[in-house]
Amino acid sequence: MRKSYVNNNIKVNEFDALIKITVEMSKYLYPYIREILKSKEDIKENSIIWNDFNKRFIELIKERFNVDSMRVKKLLNHAENGEIIIKSLLILSFCISNQGYQKLKNFLYDF
Amino acid sequence: MQNKFSFHQSSVSLEIIGLPDYSNNENKDQISIISQWKLTIVDKPLIEGKIEHLGPIMDAFYIYSNLLIKNEIPIYESKLIDIKAENLHIHNIVLKSSKPNVNPLVLKIGNSLLSDTINCFDQLNESPKVRIKKTDIHTKVTKKLRFGLNKKIKFFNFFIPPFIAICSLILISSSFIYFNSPIENIEKKELKNP
Repeated sequence: MRKSYVNNNIKVNEFDALIKITVEMSKYLYPYIREILKSKEDIKENSIIWNDFNKRFIELIKERFNVDSMRVKKLLNHAENGEIIIKSLLILSFCISNQGYQKLKNFLYDF
Repeated sequence: MQNKFSFHQSSVSLEIIGLPDYSNNENKDQISIISQWKLTIVDKPLIEGKIEHLGPIMDAFYIYSNLLIKNEIPIYESKLIDIKAENLHIHNIVLKSSKPNVNPLVLKIGNSLLSDTINCFDQLNESPKVRIKKTDIHTKVTKKLRFGLNKKIKFFNFFIPPFIAICSLILISSSFIYFNSPIENIEKKELKNP
């Protein structure tokens, strides 16, 4: 999915390290994640945060991902990406506890 | 003297009141025997119940959040609590009273309050000061997943090497067909035994 010609498989220890970094980042960013989720709950009154986040998300995807891939196109589509983003943010918000590393690992295997 | 511990996460707080189990030589600042619990969600009615209700309510929230993420139908129903998704952002909670002639308490919470509640329960589960019957939902899932992954890895480790070996054997042995000439062999035999 990424813009890369090298197709290296991620190693187990690298995967674990990435999960640990993600959990630590979500602990730090929880108030922001919460606000984005909240803004989507009442989109008529609170649409600015969600729109800004979605805009930046799409910018980053276009910058770093292979936009010719069908899966990436799905992420760029405003009508379809809402559910994926909400579920991803929910997963991050559920994993801010001390056992967040194990929880996130479980969620990722199931996602 | 009863102990009181509070767990806070943004708009949700959980209060646990109880006593340590002195018969088990516990410290006086611990709680093992819960006498009261209160779940406060901002702008929503106070949720409190019997001691035996806390575990099932926590389980309900954990199971529901798992269903929500795993793309399964997010509905949880039990004698005590029902949780249903109105849409991807709003969740309807129905808390049924065990007392007769008491109407159920209906709450609507969004994803932000749902994650706050889950995080409050996580804090309670991880607290060394409060001992409750731990919900094994996550550990169970982990074991199952680990088993699943190990099973896949074992399956491949077990079958792939002999499969490759047999394939390479067939390929190598089939190449010998080109060296084998049956007419030459017959001629040689005739020369040996005229």
